Amino acid sequence: MNNSSPSKPNREYAAAFFLLRLFLGLRTLFSGIEKFEAKGTYSLQNYSDNMTRMAQGITGASFLPLWATKSFAFVLGYALIVLGAALLLGLRTRTTLFLTGLVYVALSFGLMAVQESEGVAWLGVHVAMLAGALALVRHNRFSLWPDKLD
Amino acid sequence: MPETLPFRPSLSRRDFLSTSAKLGAALLAAPYIARAATPGGGARTLNVALIGCGEEGRVLLNASLKIPDIRFVAVCDIWPYNRTYGERLLKKFGHDPKPFEDYREMLAGTPGLDAVIVATPDFMHAEHTNAALRAGHHVYCEKLMSNTVEGARSMVLAARETGKLLQIGHQRRSNPRYLHAKNHLLNEGRLLGRINNASGQWNRAVTEDLGFPAKYALPEATLHKYGYTNMHEFRNWRWFKRYAGGPISDLGAHQIDVFNWFLGSNPSSIIAGGGVDYYKTHEWYDNVTAIYEFPTPSGIVRSTYGVLTTTSAGGGYHEYFMGDEGALKMSENPKYTKLYREARAPEWDRWVEKNFISRPESGEGAPAPVKPWEKVRPKLGGPSRTSVVDVRETAALSAWDIPVILDKPIHQPHLENFFEAVREGTPLACPGESGFATAVTVLKVNEAVAARKMLTFSPADFIV
Repeated sequence: MNNSSPSKPNREYAAAFFLLRLFLGLRTLFSGIEKFEAKGTYSLQNYSDNMTRMAQGITGASFLPLWATKSFAFVLGYALIVLGAALLLGLRTRTTLFLTGLVYVALSFGLMAVQESEGVAWLGVHVAMLAGALALVRHNRFSLWPDKLD
Repeated sequence: MPETLPFRPSLSRRDFLSTSAKLGAALLAAPYIARAATPGGGARTLNVALIGCGEEGRVLLNASLKIPDIRFVAVCDIWPYNRTYGERLLKKFGHDPKPFEDYREMLAGTPGLDAVIVATPDFMHAEHTNAALRAGHHVYCEKLMSNTVEGARSMVLAARETGKLLQIGHQRRSNPRYLHAKNHLLNEGRLLGRINNASGQWNRAVTEDLGFPAKYALPEATLHKYGYTNMHEFRNWRWFKRYAGGPISDLGAHQIDVFNWFLGSNPSSIIAGGGVDYYKTHEWYDNVTAIYEFPTPSGIVRSTYGVLTTTSAGGGYHEYFMGDEGALKMSENPKYTKLYREARAPEWDRWVEKNFISRPESGEGAPAPVKPWEKVRPKLGGPSRTSVVDVRETAALSAWDIPVILDKPIHQPHLENFFEAVREGTPLACPGESGFATAVTVLKVNEAVAARKMLTFSPADFIV
């Protein structure tokens, strides 16, 4: 076994991580953008309407107070756009992956509160992919602002 | 007459529940609020009399009680049991009607009468209507106009001679949903394309004959005086040939009238089958199926009509108009109403924008349900999976709704139309001439069943 091989970047892992980062970046970015959409048009008013509906819907069907769901909802779209763009550009990818994972866990929590098992499972797939990405993040390349790896 | 109601924005579940609760409370209170209005005051109060306080008379009374500025001054029925019911009902709502057994005495003994509502058995319609018209009163007469063509003709002639109004009780002609469908969907938008076929049905489960409390039975002499053989026939007159036209006349007349009205045409031929297959105590056919041919400017429209009184077959009564671009199923009950677009038809989005139609919120053709916290997803193009069918089967059609619902008793708009015509001279929704054409169309069914062959109409048959 070559002693230098463990420290040498593995191209296959790097490629796998790149695909994962690309997918998660796009998915997160468009999840944020679609929150501004209604009937094919995008606007801040649509965002406000959509998020109000989301907050009231969750509060109406769960124990979560409206101030909490509203606060989360009104940050959510912007957060997803910023995190998605950061993943695509490679800005502090490890931190970004973790924060994105937290957002998806928070979303899952909301759906757990309304007993929406299908949605929880769907978000669980996202969380699992983000966890996998974190496990592979050491193989990250093509970053504008790389992480400080140990 | 309101034809189109404003389009309502979509509601969230919470809004819907809240609105439904308020609406439910309002609906419960509505009869009392609406009926609380004392007769008189406001617009010119019309003095009205009712001849016939039986089943249909009561329906008309209850609908009329919701209309302001109507004062019932007389009720007439040969059966004290019915007469007292009508009298008591009206008194409960502030009216003070004078009761009569004989309509002649009522017409002679009720000064200041403006209009008469006739809700007696069909064989008396002509006699009662003509007498009221000749006494100088406007008349609202229940359908079927008469059990004979000659009787119906005499009513049109009497209205013409006296210059008084004669409205026939085909109440769908004043129903805002039917008016919307005819004026906007069929005529203006031509959403159905060329209409080739129509069908109609009224399925009713087996019913027992009507009885009567023995102590309220009319004496034989009274029954004979007014043309009835016995109490059983008096109570169940709809099933006997000397009094009425049977189920095709009682139930079918409403829907066959819609054929004539929507198609803007009278039929040219009729073939029919039927019989007394089930009931042992009736004379009229309990089940009848008829096929008409309607000549229209676009071509022949073949129309089938069936009335069943021995099975509800899942229930439902409707009139169905089928064209090469769409099909419209109409019913007084909104749950049976549906509009379908054929795949070859131009998109109907513009008719949604004009509030002619709406996308269904639930049921067939409705978008997938959205949870309260979910955003409605943009519609994707391309055929849906449900449209992939056997090569011989046409793909499933998109279903649409008609955004106009009647929020009153079904007879109320037709009575309102009549009273407005009396006061303001506005057009009647179903004048005697229209009722006559329908009576000719309907009564021929029984003739065709008996003849067991195709019978033809001449255009002159429908004209008085």
